Amino acid sequence: MKRGLIAWDKAELPPAVFEARLDAVRKSLAERELPAAVVYSDVFRSNQARFLINFMPYWNRSLLVIPREGAPVLLCALSARVYPWIRSVSAIEDIRPAGALVPALLQLCAERHWKRIGVLDLPRLPEEISRADVEMVDVPVPLAADDAEFAMRRRTASLARQILTEELPNGAGKQDYEFAGRLERALRRAGAEDLVILLSAGRTSPRPAEGATLAEYYSAAIALEYRGHWAKVTRARTSGHSLRDHFEATLKKGTGGYVENLSGPYPAEGWDRSRLAPGSIFVLHVESRIRGHRLFYGDTCVGTELL
Amino acid sequence: MSGLINQHRRTQLIELMTARAWDSLLLYGNGWRKDYFRCLVNVNFSGPHAAARLSRSGELIVAVADPWDYELVSAAIDERVIFQPDFASALEPASAIAGIELMEARFLNGAVSATAEVEELRRIKTADELEYLKKAAELADRGYQRLADAIEPGMKEYALVAEVEAFLKANGAEDNFMLIATGGPEVTGMRPPTDRVMRKGDSVTTELTPQVNGYYAQICRTLVLGDPSPQQRQAFSIFSEAQQAAQDLIRPGVNVRDAARVQNDVFRKHGYGEYTGSRYTRVRGHCLGLYPDETPHILEDSDYQIKEGMVLIAHPNTYLPLSGYMVLGDTLLVTAAGNISLNHTKKELFVK
Repeated sequence: MKRGLIAWDKAELPPAVFEARLDAVRKSLAERELPAAVVYSDVFRSNQARFLINFMPYWNRSLLVIPREGAPVLLCALSARVYPWIRSVSAIEDIRPAGALVPALLQLCAERHWKRIGVLDLPRLPEEISRADVEMVDVPVPLAADDAEFAMRRRTASLARQILTEELPNGAGKQDYEFAGRLERALRRAGAEDLVILLSAGRTSPRPAEGATLAEYYSAAIALEYRGHWAKVTRARTSGHSLRDHFEATLKKGTGGYVENLSGPYPAEGWDRSRLAPGSIFVLHVESRIRGHRLFYGDTCVGTELL
Repeated sequence: MSGLINQHRRTQLIELMTARAWDSLLLYGNGWRKDYFRCLVNVNFSGPHAAARLSRSGELIVAVADPWDYELVSAAIDERVIFQPDFASALEPASAIAGIELMEARFLNGAVSATAEVEELRRIKTADELEYLKKAAELADRGYQRLADAIEPGMKEYALVAEVEAFLKANGAEDNFMLIATGGPEVTGMRPPTDRVMRKGDSVTTELTPQVNGYYAQICRTLVLGDPSPQQRQAFSIFSEAQQAAQDLIRPGVNVRDAARVQNDVFRKHGYGEYTGSRYTRVRGHCLGLYPDETPHILEDSDYQIKEGMVLIAHPNTYLPLSGYMVLGDTLLVTAAGNISLNHTKKELFVK
């Protein structure tokens, strides 16, 4: 559940950004003679609706419906009591209660006389919704990162790097639970909306805290969501050794390491680097062995550069 | 190693498959809903997907989509584990799937849903599950105490949540479902924290739900910064009466709709019946376990007989014009004789 600060600073991310993104969707619909596009969103799969209307469901799920003409509609499983709050942090006005998403979608289609609708990533739509009794066609909704997206992701990555660098030395001698708590406090006080912290005491890959003691060598991997934008950063405490050279060489080489795509529907998803779309934001992780310890370094990138 | 496989559930699932003539059953989990997977393989994966495929013969295969999960799960269980970044290619067809409704359509191959049947099995907790829930409830109590200690006028909501979250994680919580609201009669519901600065006189409502070993227990309490107003005290007395009415009623054989009705009747008796509907509230409680909002929900239009071994929360949380949104609730274990609260925090209007 997203339980950190969900906020929309319109100076940082102006409404015009979302208007332009929605216009691109409408253009795509017009080219395909489709009346509307549907974008699925839930608490774990919020990147796409966030990109289009800045909606970040703290819980539950929803369908964003973007008509070719007119304002977008959010069919929302959250209680109507939180709609004023949603409107305050999202670029959406028309929010409709939808405890059951499929009937709500069918009702909207009936109201608008839509017989055939576009769906973003139709093969990846949750099964329950894919069975809705309306003709659905896969539609390539334009979601390529623009300047605003890069700027927000860069800010998120920068925040994660800064806090992890500051806090990393403080884990030595602590139980991983305690260090995870320390990282939670620092990152949430800095405005983290959601967080996943994985730690390695040097014998395993990073994993949720499990009661291990962090000694001289350990790694911490942070997935940070800041104002809806995810970035991932991994750093190791190494007593003077640097993993950065290994990471940078792997990044420049274009192959190797473990890559997760950050530009898809999920916060991160394992991906073949050679199959990333141009401009995709991804995280590259590398592993090194130092004095018998498994240590990890990773960062948020685009192309062959750090973001 | 095999302690992370719920052997009692494995036996139940095989019996279910036999009864339904299913050759295989897939338990699917994603980053939001890990519960169907973890009800059999209790490993906290971090990637986008994981699934456990159980054959009627008892064979178990686990598939994950993340290499770090592969390492974690392989080390945790003595069963075959498959890693495929393209999760679709890791999934052999199954007769039935629990969690199918959440799966990407591309993963599917004609299976039927086993979601309702598996959820029914999960409602009655095993001895191990109850131990985890008791630990989670104990951590919820300590987490609420931390909140009460840390809160002060001038603090921002999200800074308070950061303190609570840090405490819970430092004390072993995997996750936490937490909602909050602060303010007065204008507050109509809880949500994630904002940057609002808390002031004297505010009601601070919190639903705190730490997860321990996969299992969530919940506590709902209201705190007032400064001396409570007569309206805040009056509202709390109504909530206290309503929550107690449910707690007094809940036992095996009682229908959840009656557990909702007795709470709502208290509001009706005091002239606030209109605030028991969906415009002002969501549910009068729900079950707890591997998911923080398990069904059945406690509502007057639900229909389910409560059973021994269930764990649920009865919470009359709603808006009242007296003092805005207010909450009160404990995690309850249903016993043969009635129920016992797994929380030990006083059921009082907290004051700071």
